[in-house]
Amino acid sequence: MTSTPQAAVDRLTTRAEAAGLRVVAAAAWPESPADTDPPPIPGFVISTFSPLAAATATRCLTRATPPAAGAEVNERAARATPAPATPPAASAGSVPAAVVPVRRGSVSDGVAASAAGSLPGLAPRLAAARTAVVVVSAFGDVVGAMHVADVVDRGGRPGPLMFFQAVPNAVAGHVAVRWGLEGAVVCVGDVGAGVEVAGGLIEDGDADEVLVVWVEQLPDRAEAVLVAAGGGE
Amino acid sequence: MAATGMGATGGVRRGPEDVVITGVGVLSAFGDGVGPVLDAALAGRPGFAPVRRFDVAGRRTVHAAAHPGNPVLGEELVRIIGHACDEAGLNGAQRAESALYLAVHGDPELPRVPKHERAAHGADTFARGIARRAGLSGAARAYTSACVASSTAVADAGALVARERAERVVVAAGYLVEADQFAVFDAGRALARDGRVRPFSAGREGLLLGDAVVAVVVESVAAASRRGAKVLSRLAGWGRAGDAHHVCRPRPDGAGLARAMADALARADLAPGQVGYVNAHGSGSPAGDAAESAAIRRVFGEDAATLGVSSTKSVHGQALEAGALLELAVTMAALRAGRLPVNAGYLAPDPACPLPLILTHPTPSSSPHALSLTTAFGGANTALLVTTP
Repeated sequence: MTSTPQAAVDRLTTRAEAAGLRVVAAAAWPESPADTDPPPIPGFVISTFSPLAAATATRCLTRATPPAAGAEVNERAARATPAPATPPAASAGSVPAAVVPVRRGSVSDGVAASAAGSLPGLAPRLAAARTAVVVVSAFGDVVGAMHVADVVDRGGRPGPLMFFQAVPNAVAGHVAVRWGLEGAVVCVGDVGAGVEVAGGLIEDGDADEVLVVWVEQLPDRAEAVLVAAGGGE
Repeated sequence: MAATGMGATGGVRRGPEDVVITGVGVLSAFGDGVGPVLDAALAGRPGFAPVRRFDVAGRRTVHAAAHPGNPVLGEELVRIIGHACDEAGLNGAQRAESALYLAVHGDPELPRVPKHERAAHGADTFARGIARRAGLSGAARAYTSACVASSTAVADAGALVARERAERVVVAAGYLVEADQFAVFDAGRALARDGRVRPFSAGREGLLLGDAVVAVVVESVAAASRRGAKVLSRLAGWGRAGDAHHVCRPRPDGAGLARAMADALARADLAPGQVGYVNAHGSGSPAGDAAESAAIRRVFGEDAATLGVSSTKSVHGQALEAGALLELAVTMAALRAGRLPVNAGYLAPDPACPLPLILTHPTPSSSPHALSLTTAFGGANTALLVTTP
């Protein structure tokens, strides 16, 4: 880190507030010397990128959520969300989905009704909101990318789990599943763009709240804010 | 267009300005320009062949849709952005005022540069460098959200222009088939071993990668009109939603993608029955195609009878971060040509994919409105709605 953890949180918070957004909660990793390696996530290997993003997002969302409800959602989601221990193509069973005809002109209502309540056990504030996830990283999972490049350059075969982990969407999806966040998933390369994207999603009604997670490695550091429309809106 | 109020989850909105596309530049496996890839898509003629660009010894699959030779991503991006700006008729001063939204996996050099050079190879730095070399403004940003990166960039550009915060944004995207992503997709058993992409078909085995470097000029109708620019297409609507279902598997009921479509329709103020064509994500993966079928049926219901659906990935392959923009370019060109792309590689019906697929050519278009759909890891879904003038 080039700055203290608290300064890092303040920096992302400052950027969001300068864009007219209200910061509901904020977090960083590390925040204290106790924050060494972030807890591993089953199915994510080799690199700390995704665990780092997930730990910081969890810390932020927990602060935004009443403690009892937050504990409940974490436990339930952890049980309900299998880790991707096998690559998707190898395990992909086609599940014929229910076909729900929607009357002409009522598409929005029909889709909204079908989407609501799909994940029981959510914390009330997150269940009530449409929350988007924006991951900000200039270098992405650079440790994972260097590992793959090294294996390829030696003529080898990367592990199958590197397949989905090569993109920052993967951990955004992990966080979205765990917390039931059904808004857009967006990944951009700089904090300014991330805050602007979050503001745009809120302004145009795509999301009520946006979790913005900034994460970089070498060394590991991450910040997260949950933002909502500012007081003037 | 006024702000709409029929949003899927509490009301998506948009700014009042109409958004149009006035320039398109394309490099695909079929060569320069949208013409060659459109011709292949209309005829259902796939561009897959054994990869010669790098060593594929030891891989389960050897096929991709790659342009001959070993093009360099940065150089091709600058060149194709130039083509799009040329078609739009932008002069140097107008280019210099235009922001660049660039969808890429990252700086392709990052994983192999020495440690002391790494700091200069971030995705944001790469985007600013491309913008500078293409004569665009320094206000560049990188989108890295895998397959939805470029459609998300188009949606953000559309939203910004509709809000009259910018007259114009250049959206570009690039993926050129390379050894690292080929290796991880191969290791993940995602690639079709039979060398063909067969979206929504029985016997489909997965996806194949493909080259795409694409740029579009997204502009307000007022700015385009002032310049006397020809409008290629209206960007009538856009929508984005998450599955909250799995890290890399789609939600089987398609609810997230359906919400993205509903939001795009709401912003365009259109009913599903007014849309005549869907260029589906249709990667050719067993679970993904079934989930997308559910999403399309969920939105279109009985209106699906008048719809035509195909996945042009069956011809040009999956271009990852650039795929959605290539498919948007092909969709716009098909609407202008009045003919719809064929869903190539089809063997037989799959009961999990009950869609009105386009299997013969020529198939005339029945409506000026089309949706281009994209899904990605992390449960990300996007829908772009374009209307031919």
